[in-house]
Amino acid sequence: MSKNSKKSPNNTSLGQSVKNSWKTRGKPSSESGKVSSKSGKKSPTSAKPSQNRAKPVQKPSELVQNHVEKSKQSSKPAPIAIRVTNLHKSFRLPTERAAGLKQAFFNWLKGVKGYTEQQVLRGVDLEVHKGEFVGIVGRNGSGKSTLLKLLAQIYYPEQGNIEVHGTLVPFIELGVGFNPELTGRENVYLNGALLGFSNKEMDAMYDEIVRFAELEPFMDAKLKNYSSGMQVRLAFSIAIRAKGDILILDEVLAVGDAAFQEKCNDYFASLHGNQTVILVTHSMENVRKFCDRAILLEDGKVKTEGNPDDVAQAYEDLWK
Amino acid sequence: MGVPNVLCRKNRILLGELVKTDFRLRYQDSVLGYLWAVLRPLLMFTILYIVFAKLLRFGDGIPHYPVYLLTGTVLWNFFTECTGQGIQSIVQRGELLRKISFPKYIVVVSATATALINFAINLCVIVVFALINGVTPSWSWLMVIPLILELYAFSLGISFLLGALNVKYRDVTSIWDVLIQALFYAVPIIYPLALVLNSGSYGNFAAQIIQLNPIAQVIQDVRYNLITDTTVTTWQLVQFPLCLIPIVLVLIVLTFAALFFRRRSRRFAEEV
Repeated sequence: MSKNSKKSPNNTSLGQSVKNSWKTRGKPSSESGKVSSKSGKKSPTSAKPSQNRAKPVQKPSELVQNHVEKSKQSSKPAPIAIRVTNLHKSFRLPTERAAGLKQAFFNWLKGVKGYTEQQVLRGVDLEVHKGEFVGIVGRNGSGKSTLLKLLAQIYYPEQGNIEVHGTLVPFIELGVGFNPELTGRENVYLNGALLGFSNKEMDAMYDEIVRFAELEPFMDAKLKNYSSGMQVRLAFSIAIRAKGDILILDEVLAVGDAAFQEKCNDYFASLHGNQTVILVTHSMENVRKFCDRAILLEDGKVKTEGNPDDVAQAYEDLWK
Repeated sequence: MGVPNVLCRKNRILLGELVKTDFRLRYQDSVLGYLWAVLRPLLMFTILYIVFAKLLRFGDGIPHYPVYLLTGTVLWNFFTECTGQGIQSIVQRGELLRKISFPKYIVVVSATATALINFAINLCVIVVFALINGVTPSWSWLMVIPLILELYAFSLGISFLLGALNVKYRDVTSIWDVLIQALFYAVPIIYPLALVLNSGSYGNFAAQIIQLNPIAQVIQDVRYNLITDTTVTTWQLVQFPLCLIPIVLVLIVLTFAALFFRRRSRRFAEEV
């Protein structure tokens, strides 16, 4: 999908109206992004702007337009899974150590803000269709992980719109919530709960998770006694059980030894074609091998988009 | 779409597993394990009992004074444990907040739930103690349930408020530690309220002020309903509209804390 096709009429209704409303206020750093999710994970109320800034009211007309949009999509062969329009995000970096009341007080006295705004994403547009395997590449600090965290609703956007159709399972990191003081078995259940699995469901999957991780003799040992490779294997084995409409993966291919790598590769190959996947990676080999389409981020903007080979080439050209 | 289901299936699973983990970790590697949940307040009580009942003789004239004292300390411990854990919770679970998206209030609720479990165990100890001590069971014991809910709501409110603030200003933990020490003496736990009432011309006024604190109000009410109706409560001490101050205070703190927490929670993942 090229950049031009994004400006097709079916995109203008919600995206455009939102975009315009930001422009008139002319405050790029204002915190008033919107996350809409069909899975109902986030309510419109929780996405309302914080602090003292103006509130973008979702007009009834927008809602109607949204409906029109949805019905249009269903008639298309590959419906939209994720649509991101004009996404901005900046972080507040404390100038001095401001994690204290004293510093905050002095900053207030001096009229210093105590932080500087670091603009990470400056207007990213992205569309992912159902069943597509999309790669996101870029140098360190180009905004890849921030984009993923915004998609995963860990961060709130300041400006722009994110639409997610379906349930989304993010793997920003493997083994989230793993506790070194707990046994392997306890960690499996804890990590499963974080992915939304009940104890019963985990009981059913447990044996297979352990078998895939090749850790049968170690499940009652504490996690702190595992080698890092063992931890990653266990985490990965749990992670791939999670079933969602959209899978978000951040650099999780580069784990384990050669044999385990092969297992992972098989898994990713099996996803290809029947699962919507967004993958952040530095491996151009993986981009060429798995992705249907790729996006190169540079300075918080989409620099190149399209064919994986072209994007991989553009990425390699960054250092030339 | 719509309002997020406060206890939808996914959140319930997560909450349950976090509570289980917290509880498991707390007593791991200790020989007596979960027994400490009961032993700790009992040992605390023993010390207080020796000092205040035997040496200072504060309890003279109060029926079932040991149970009276135990109830006070257990309720107080619940409050300190609840707020202590709650305030720390967001910072402690920072790793999690940075990696996955889930309603942030679950972190605070799960931290206070451990205190709630400990408290439930202690409550059983109190009941056993009361029966041994010769307190006759009555229907008024049921009044304890809404009172505990009130205290929990207050603790939760403070946890939400200070927990959110603690993300940015870690001083909050230290300030709260000092504040809670001062608060301990502002609540009639070790001394009977009658002692304040009978102390000079300002005694009555001082007792009224003390009893406007929701913690003091709950502790005295629990003692009144559970142990002896000689306990002086807020309702006897303060005139009608003013005696509602503790309850109104709890509601204000909880509402304000919930709104504040919701507003701040959007940036937890970045700031923590």
